[in-house]
Amino acid sequence: MRMSEILIKNANVCDPAQGINCETMDLCIRDGKIVESVSESAEVIDAAGRLTMAGGFDGHTHSAGKINVGRFMNPNDARRTLVPGLSGPEARTEKTRAQVGYNTPNTYAIGYRYAKLGYTTICEAAIPMLAARHTHEEFKEIPILDKMGLSLFGSNWQVMEYVRDKEPEKLAAYVAWGLKASRGYGVKIVNAGGGEAWGWGKNVSGLYDPVPNFDVTPAEILMGLVEANEKLQLPHSVHVHCNNLGKPGNYETTIETMKMFEKVKPTVDRQALHVTHVQFNAYAGTSWRDFETGAPMVADYLNGANHLTFDLGQVIFGPAVTMTADGPVEYANSRMLHEKWSNQDIELEDASGVVPLSYSPKSFINAVQWAIGIELALLVEDPWKIMFTTDSPNGGSFVNYPEAFTYLMSAKKREQVISGFGKMALDRMVLPGLDRELSFYELAIMTRSMQSKMYSRPEKGNLKVGSDADVAIYDIITSDIDPSVEHEKVKQAFSGAAYTLKDGNVVVKDGKIEATPMGRTYWVNAKVPADIDSAMNKDTDIKFKKYYTVSKSNYMVEDSYLPNPVEIRTEGAF
Amino acid sequence: MQVVKLSLKKANKIPIEADTVTPDNFAGKTKEEIEAILVWYGNGQCPLGDFFTVEVEGSDSAENTKIVFEGDVSRVKRIGQGMSAGEIEINGNVDMHCGFGMKGGKIVINGDADSWLGCEMKGGEIILNGNATYYVGSGYRGESCGMRGGKITINGNAKDYLGEHMCGGEILVTGNVGLLPAISNNGGTIVIEGNATMPASEMKNGTVIIKGEISDMLPSYKEDGTEEVEGITYRKFVGDVNAGGKGMLLVK
Ligand SMILES: [Zn+2]
Repeated sequence: MRMSEILIKNANVCDPAQGINCETMDLCIRDGKIVESVSESAEVIDAAGRLTMAGGFDGHTHSAGKINVGRFMNPNDARRTLVPGLSGPEARTEKTRAQVGYNTPNTYAIGYRYAKLGYTTICEAAIPMLAARHTHEEFKEIPILDKMGLSLFGSNWQVMEYVRDKEPEKLAAYVAWGLKASRGYGVKIVNAGGGEAWGWGKNVSGLYDPVPNFDVTPAEILMGLVEANEKLQLPHSVHVHCNNLGKPGNYETTIETMKMFEKVKPTVDRQALHVTHVQFNAYAGTSWRDFETGAPMVADYLNGANHLTFDLGQVIFGPAVTMTADGPVEYANSRMLHEKWSNQDIELEDASGVVPLSYSPKSFINAVQWAIGIELALLVEDPWKIMFTTDSPNGGSFVNYPEAFTYLMSAKKREQVISGFGKMALDRMVLPGLDRELSFYELAIMTRSMQSKMYSRPEKGNLKVGSDADVAIYDIITSDIDPSVEHEKVKQAFSGAAYTLKDGNVVVKDGKIEATPMGRTYWVNAKVPADIDSAMNKDTDIKFKKYYTVSKSNYMVEDSYLPNPVEIRTEGAF
Repeated sequence: MQVVKLSLKKANKIPIEADTVTPDNFAGKTKEEIEAILVWYGNGQCPLGDFFTVEVEGSDSAENTKIVFEGDVSRVKRIGQGMSAGEIEINGNVDMHCGFGMKGGKIVINGDADSWLGCEMKGGEIILNGNATYYVGSGYRGESCGMRGGKITINGNAKDYLGEHMCGGEILVTGNVGLLPAISNNGGTIVIEGNATMPASEMKNGTVIIKGEISDMLPSYKEDGTEEVEGITYRKFVGDVNAGGKGMLLVK
C-alpha cells in the first residue's frame, strides 16, 4: 500500500472541537487522515505560523439541482465579475476546466471556488426527490468537495397521509425509503404544507392552518417528521425552513416553531432541530411599511434554548438568486419586485420557485435584512448554535463569505456599510448599537466545527487524530493582526487560502487550484423492520400507479449516479 | 493620423473572435506589434498576423486611428467590441457582435452584418450600408438593459428583435424590419422607415416611430391623439398596457 505522509510545520491551529485557540504546532497526515506522528520521509509544508483550520463545511447551500434553473433564467450571471478571482468567466487551464458565473456558477467553478475559500464539504439544502437524479449528476461534476444533500418531505402527499392517519412507523419507513430513493442525507422541511397549498394557489398562514384536502396542519407535519427522524436515528436533525418566510411579523411563527421542538428527545447526540436562514424568518412589524428587525426577540429565545441550531442566511448587497421549494414566496417576490419568475410543480412532493433579485443598501428593507443576519450572529451568545451561511445564492453568492466574515469580526467595517443607510433603515435595526466582534476561534466554530456535531460527522470540521485531513491554511498571522482594523487583510486571506488540503492532497496553493480529486457523496441508509417496510411500499405502489408520471423503478437513484458514495447506516429504534 | 489596413490572407471557416481589434488597442502600435495581438480562434489564441496582412501608416492616438478591413470578414466576430474612439471601416460582410458595448468612435460597414450588431452599445455611431440580422442594439441574454446610448443607422433591412431591451440611444432603419422590434424596451428612440410586425411589445418607455405598414399591431396599446415629428403627423399610441408601459408608438 502506498503511504503518503505530510507534515505541516508551524501551523497556528484554531480547532474549537479540541479547544485549541490559535496555538502553533505541527500537524501530521497519513493516507488522508490526521495522525499522531509521521516518519522522517514525510513531505513537509511550512505553514510559517499562519492561521490553520479544518476544511470549511457549508451545511446549507444551493449548489446542485435547483441552481440549474437559476442558470438558465440568468444566462447573464455567467459574465458577472463582482468578486475578482471568484466570479466571472475564466478560461480553462492545465488543471481546471472553464469557469463562469457568480450566483449560479457552473459546477466546476463551484468546486474550485469553495476550495479556494478553504471549504471542503457542502450540503445541498434541497433535493426534490423526483429530481434527485439531476442533483447527483451535478454532484458528480463538482470537483474536490465532499457532498451531501437534504431531501424534501414537508409537503409530500404520503407524508401528510401518514401524519393524518397516525401511522408513525410507516411514516418513518417512508422517510427511510425516500432517503434511499434520492440518496439523501437528511430531512428538509420547507414551509410545511405550503407547497401543497400552493398547488391550489394558496399558502398556509401559520403552524395551525390546515393544508387543503389533507386535514393536517404544518405543526402536525413537523411533529410527525421529527418523530420519524428520531425513530430512524438519522445523523442530522430535521432541517426546517419555517412557515411565513419573508413576511413582516414572522418572527413569532419562528419562535413558536422552535418552542414546539423543546419536547423532542433526540436519539442521536446532536440538536433536535435545525432552523435554516433565520434572517428571512426574523422580521417584526405588520407590513413592509412598519417592517423592522425581529432579531432581538429571536436571539433572546435562542439564548435560553439548548435543543437547536440555526444558520444565518446573511444578505450580501448586489445581485442574488432566490431558489426555494417555498412556491408561494417566490410568486410574491416576483410580483413585488417585477422580476423573472420560475415555478415548478414537483408532482406529489412539493413546489419550487426561482426568482433573481438584487439587494440594495438604498432600500431600507434590504438594509434591515442585511443587519438582521449580523444581529443574529452577534446577539446569540453561543457560537456553537450558529452556522454561518448566506443561504447561497438566496442571500448572496458564497464567494462573498470572506466579505461577510469581516462584518462579524469588525465593528469598523460594519460602520462603513451602515454609513450608507438612510435614517429609516437605522431606526428599524439594532445593529449600530452592537460592538461585539467575533474572534477567529468563534468564526471557526460557525464555519466548520459546529457542523461536525450538527451533521454527526465526527471526521469533519476538526483536526483531531483520526479525522479527515481536510485543512485550510490562511495567510494570517493571528498575533500580528487586528481584524477589527485590518478587515481588508482578513477578507483577502479568506478569499484565497494559502493551502487547502482535501484528504491530505494539496488542492489549493496560494489561492490557485493545484489538484481536482473527486469528492465523496454521503447518503443515509436507515434500517426499517421488513414488515413495516413492505406495508409502506404497498401504499407508495398505489401512489406511483395512480399519480406519478414515472414508475417506482425509474424513480430510484441507482448506484451508478454516485461514483464515490459513503453509505451511512442507521439501526433505527422501532 | 494612423491608418491600419487589415486583409484576410485566406477565408476562415472557424470564427475568429476579434474583440482586441479596436482603435484603442491599435493606437501607437507598429505593424509588428499589431500582428502580435492575440485573437481567439476556436479554443485557442493566435496572433492576428496569422490571419491578416497588416499595413500601418502613421502613428497616433485612438481618436485619430482608423482601422480598415479590406474585403469580407463574415467569420470574424466582435470587431470593435468596447471601443471608445477612432474609426473602423469594414468593406464587406461582418460576423456577429460587431461593435458590442462600444462607448465611442464610429464603425462603418459597407456590407451586411450578422446578429447582435451594436448590442449593449453605450455611445458612438454605427453606420451599416447593408442588411442587418437579429437583435440589433439589444441586450446580452438575460440582461434587462440593451443599448443605452449612441446611434445605429441601417441603410437596409433588419430581421427580428431589433432594439430588444433597449434603454437609450437611437436606431434608424431605412428599410423594413422583421418581428417584434423594440420588444421590452425601456427608453431610447427607434425609427423604422419601412414596414414592421408586432412592434413595441412590452415596451415600458421610449419612442418607436413606424413610417411604413404595420402587421399585427398589438391590441395592448391605447390610442392617444396625434403627435407631430419633423413635420409629419402620426397617430399616437401609448403602452404597452400589459407591462404598465408609458412608451410612445407613432404610426402613420
Ligand atoms: Zn436554502
